[in-house]
Amino acid sequence: MEYRSQKIAYWYFAIALLLFTLQVVMGLWLAYSYSFTVPQSIVDVFPFSTARAMHTNLLVLWMLLGFMGGTYYIVPEETRSEIYSAKLAWIQLIALVATGVAALVGFLFGWTQGRPLLEIPTTLDIVVVIGALIFLFNVGMTMFKAKRWTAIQGTLLGGLLFLALLYLFGIPFYDNEVIDWYYWWWVIHLWVEGAWELVTAAIFAFVLMKLTGVDRQVVEKWLYVEIGLFLFTGIVGTGHHYYWIGAPRYWLWFGGIFSALEPLPILLMLIDTMHHVKQRRLEIKNQLTWTIAIGCAVMHMIGAGVWGFMHTLPQINYYTHGSQVTVSHGHLAFFGAYALLNIMVFYYAMPKIKGIEVYDPSRGKVAFWTMCTAMMLMGLSFGIAGVVQTYVERVLGMGYMVAQSYMRLWLGVTFVLGLCFFAGLLIMVADLLFLRPARKAAA
Amino acid sequence: MTKKTAFWIFLAGTLSSGILFLWLTWDTHQQVQALSHVDKLSDKVVAGKRAFEKYNCNDCHTILGFGAYYAPDLTKVVQRIGEDGIRFRIKDPGKALASSWRKMPNLKVSEAEIDNLVAFFTWVGNIDNGDWPPQDSKKRLSRSEEIMVAGAGVSPGAAVFQSRGCMNCHSLHGAGGTFGPALDTIGRKLSLEQIEHYIKNPKAVNTKALMPAQTTLSEKEFEEVAAFLANLK
Repeated sequence: MEYRSQKIAYWYFAIALLLFTLQVVMGLWLAYSYSFTVPQSIVDVFPFSTARAMHTNLLVLWMLLGFMGGTYYIVPEETRSEIYSAKLAWIQLIALVATGVAALVGFLFGWTQGRPLLEIPTTLDIVVVIGALIFLFNVGMTMFKAKRWTAIQGTLLGGLLFLALLYLFGIPFYDNEVIDWYYWWWVIHLWVEGAWELVTAAIFAFVLMKLTGVDRQVVEKWLYVEIGLFLFTGIVGTGHHYYWIGAPRYWLWFGGIFSALEPLPILLMLIDTMHHVKQRRLEIKNQLTWTIAIGCAVMHMIGAGVWGFMHTLPQINYYTHGSQVTVSHGHLAFFGAYALLNIMVFYYAMPKIKGIEVYDPSRGKVAFWTMCTAMMLMGLSFGIAGVVQTYVERVLGMGYMVAQSYMRLWLGVTFVLGLCFFAGLLIMVADLLFLRPARKAAA
Repeated sequence: MTKKTAFWIFLAGTLSSGILFLWLTWDTHQQVQALSHVDKLSDKVVAGKRAFEKYNCNDCHTILGFGAYYAPDLTKVVQRIGEDGIRFRIKDPGKALASSWRKMPNLKVSEAEIDNLVAFFTWVGNIDNGDWPPQDSKKRLSRSEEIMVAGAGVSPGAAVFQSRGCMNCHSLHGAGGTFGPALDTIGRKLSLEQIEHYIKNPKAVNTKALMPAQTTLSEKEFEEVAAFLANLK
């Protein structure tokens, strides 16, 4: 850590870890509800829908806090100056966390906007927007004052601006269900396959450059090509959500073709990462951080690239749309592209903030491999359930619950794997919050 | 390739995709008017959409394939289970799903809201959305329906069974509802007369029966469907 204000990032990370844990607890409840009967008396007061709203909102909140913390850590080093206002960063954190708590408690009492992932009511949306504005102002001012522009900074700020702007499309009430979903995807798709990719590509490039010592010019050149490809394929690629909503038929073509190209930038990122390893000029001190970075690139490719590609073609999507295949893709892609990226940043920045140059990786290693293995297998068990559902319900035309009864076993397997993932997560959280310096090798 | 070239690649890629996307958005807005039948988008439908969101239905059910996957898709729900089927399930899910291993919460939805929800689902069901979902597609008989029809020959009773809502609750070869018992081998248990008697007034046979008396069938339809069911052995 070179700048005092980088310390703020620590609390963003710590709270993100707490929320991540809560998210997985809710996820376990959801998986349990899928394979076991929850009695009517419990369902009446705590329905699946409430738990699901919590699971997904916690996901969004912890990941955004992770990105914001990451930004507060990176920007001082990139601009070579302190954050414009540490106080604003604190106010923003408190505002966002308070909103999160209010939203979660509100869900329990049915205070909801009732649209998946965008459940939080308009009143709270306004607080979120204020929080985002404070954040953008703070980061923007730091950059303007420093007058030292880099491609990494530009991508980061551009991505964050884009992210905030898109959120606005999720706030209004739309009379027409078709138009509602049309703009719902402007938030969800253009976030995860647009704005978030920009933010994370910038963060990834930064960590890659710092870890390997590869020349900035080279890293930034590839960054431009990657984000250019991400946006080129990702923007029109939104069309793969417009196949069956009552939008014009040409979306089958635009969505199909552009999203078939979506794995390209991810593949480029993977190749580029491997290339930088070979070209590295620095000795890598914390091997685990590096392992996580590669894990992130690989899982990003599998979850978002391969799994996404698999059911994005209209001919396949007609049968798999809105089934557990989607769930499989969602879990692998979010974990690979965004959870691991955040975890990589945590392992990169948290030791530095604590002043530990080389940390003891033993617990982290166990946690990383447990989580990755469990999540990969979860992706497969969700996937099997999804294929069963697709065949029994969609192809054979049997009843919904008939299909569910065949899927029950695989959803039960997912629950058990979820428990393994949770164990890995607890080890990681404990490790990150109580980091130990590595013991010196015996002389 | 220099960094500057890379920057131009980024700019060209982003702008071309962005412009194309905005243009398609504009065109989609024009076409959705007809595709979603905006002329039929009444206040009642909008009120139904508000109720749909108020009770967070979408975090268990999908609609147009989006939402949570815990419960059946609602795009063609009116076509699949009928207005009464919807009312019954929302009003008393405990009873409606008594024999199901997955439950639906009783959210104490008012009568007026249920009316609005039905209007909303009716409107959604008519959106021209490329004949999705496949299981509700009218263009193709599902495989199990084909098997059923083939097994029964060209039976008028099978047609009654399919078209008069029996399958909202009962299933044959796994196709149909799960509220009532599966009827695959009902002919082994009950005779033709017993079946006909039961359909006309279930409570006369079993006071605890949940099945409503079928008052809308004609005498001929009673005979046909009873003959069809009695042959399932």
